[in-house]
Amino acid sequence: MGQDAFEITVNILKMAIIFLMIVQAVPLLVWVERRGSAFIQNRLGPNRVGPLGLLQLLADAVKFLTKENFVPEKSEPIFYYGAPIMALIPATLAFASIPLSVPIEVAPFEMFGRTWGPYTFLLQGYDLGIGIVFVLGISSLGAYALLMAGWGSGSKYSLLGALRASAQVISYELALSLSLVGILMVYGTFYFTDIVNAQTGPLNFHFFGKQVVIPWLPNWGIFFQPLGAILFFCATFAETNRLPFDLPEAEGELVAGYHTEYGGFKFNLFFIGEYGHMLVASALMATFYFGGYHFPGLTPASVSAFWSGVVDGVNAANILTSLTFFLILLAKIAFFLWVFIWVRWTLPRFRYDHLMDLGWKTMLPWALFNTVLTAVVMYISHK
Amino acid sequence: MPILDTAIKVGLNHYLYLSAFLFMVGMFGILVRRNVIVILMCIELMLNAVNLSFIAFSRYNENLNGHVMVFFVMTVAAAEAAVGLALAVTIFKKFREVNIRFFEHLKG
Amino acid sequence: MLTVNDYLFYILGAITALSGLGVVLLRNPIHCAFMLVISMVGIAGLFAALNAFFIAAVQLIVYAGAVMVLFVMVLMLFDLRHEVKAFSKGLASFILKLVTTGVMLGLLIAYITHTFSVDPSFKPVPTDPQQSMEVTKEVSQLLFTRYVFGFEVIGALLLIIAIGAVTLSRISGGTHADS
Repeated sequence: MGQDAFEITVNILKMAIIFLMIVQAVPLLVWVERRGSAFIQNRLGPNRVGPLGLLQLLADAVKFLTKENFVPEKSEPIFYYGAPIMALIPATLAFASIPLSVPIEVAPFEMFGRTWGPYTFLLQGYDLGIGIVFVLGISSLGAYALLMAGWGSGSKYSLLGALRASAQVISYELALSLSLVGILMVYGTFYFTDIVNAQTGPLNFHFFGKQVVIPWLPNWGIFFQPLGAILFFCATFAETNRLPFDLPEAEGELVAGYHTEYGGFKFNLFFIGEYGHMLVASALMATFYFGGYHFPGLTPASVSAFWSGVVDGVNAANILTSLTFFLILLAKIAFFLWVFIWVRWTLPRFRYDHLMDLGWKTMLPWALFNTVLTAVVMYISHK
Repeated sequence: MPILDTAIKVGLNHYLYLSAFLFMVGMFGILVRRNVIVILMCIELMLNAVNLSFIAFSRYNENLNGHVMVFFVMTVAAAEAAVGLALAVTIFKKFREVNIRFFEHLKG
Repeated sequence: MLTVNDYLFYILGAITALSGLGVVLLRNPIHCAFMLVISMVGIAGLFAALNAFFIAAVQLIVYAGAVMVLFVMVLMLFDLRHEVKAFSKGLASFILKLVTTGVMLGLLIAYITHTFSVDPSFKPVPTDPQQSMEVTKEVSQLLFTRYVFGFEVIGALLLIIAIGAVTLSRISGGTHADS
């Protein structure tokens, strides 16, 4: 956690801020979804509360907080109250392990009459050598929130919805994990920072012994794993229960699936969890396939030199450098979140047997094929 | 006190005590419980205890064979849990009873 | 001095041991299943405290994320109102089983204490993120060179298990009798 009080304090604050990032992203995302979906459907959406309707979510949050807190009679309170909390935990833990920007190198500075030594603050919650498999493991714990919600509600509709939802989630976890094996083979490491740093510069790869450099394309993962990227993106739609895979929440069929018996703020917590999973999926997509926080043409040294010319003080320049790269990653994440919302209001929902067929009979074989193809191409081109 | 320090600082002993405790708790569960699924879960608990002792020994001996063994044990245990559950579901569909004491007295 | 791994062992060890007891002693099987999930997550944390990060992640993915979800789903499909008694009847047999298990546990603890009274402490290893990647690479080297036969046999075993589980679920006389 750090060797002295300043570093420990900053690390604790960093973890709190990362958790709050997920919670604070939800009002913005819901506003984007409601206005974006409205424009897609040729209507206006909420635009009365506040400028452009931005305070609509504040009003909704106040409404949720003041609703009556009811518990169904045949429910089990431990599972009923534990499920919304469990829905938040995997998304938060997974988001905290993704590097959001270049590390901030703090040179020694004076404060309160003491010299605080040189620090390196990483812009992630914790630095794991096994980033990818940790995120996979934590997101596979997300199935328990669904099962706890379904069982704890004590009603048959909830139970059926929960069983369907968890069967869908564990089926698409396989396609998700296998599509990431391609990235593992190409970059040879589980460590997120190494994967992001390997995506700098122009596109270069081996081709039958020659080193090919294409200067006008960035060295992003999507050029090495196009099929894997498509499979990964589709599998994350199923993992987060977003349309077109959102049969667990289908209104015409199961009332509201596993969260039928939830009202008020507990219902809101499920949606924070769902948007949190969307945020993690977008961040992973940007990290693995689209270069993470790097932008073609900008390196940390050049950006740091630019900011050193603008502000004086090497600490301020370092903080502004990290902020620049964080904004680049945020732009990529925002793009993928918009794609999530766009797809939701464009495609119709899958029927349940089509959904399971797609997961087991289409995406799993294609993911295996992607693995074999990557291995063969790597072997041939490195000979 | 120095003797308390050697007792508190965690060494191989502590992991092995925990592993033995979990193994015995799992064994007690198999002997005492009546529900088939809970017996399968106690078997999984015993296998986890054994995995813990393998990894503890691997860390103590600086040898990575323990990791490989745990990998195999985990895979076989997952496979066995799947087959055990499939059998339990089949038996339940036929007899509508999950109490294993019921099956001790079947004839024929 | 006590390091972070020591504190992790005590906290996670307590959680795992109590959850293990909960698996055996609780009456409702679904509560037992969730106690086992907590126990497995605790064991994954203990693996991480022992520097086996990859095995900890595999434990989370395979055990806590797939096997236990399967257990919980199967338990939710059963009708538990038929099950009235959780434990085998008879106080004398209960006491006998408890005493036997306790005696075996005592024997194990005595054996461990007697054998490893020499120096049970772990040698320190560096714990930067690159190091855990090195351990993973060495484990995979072992898997694919020395133990490759076992690895392939495990693959064949999983295939047989998958086919077997699907076959078991299609035995006639159940709910799929007409399809």
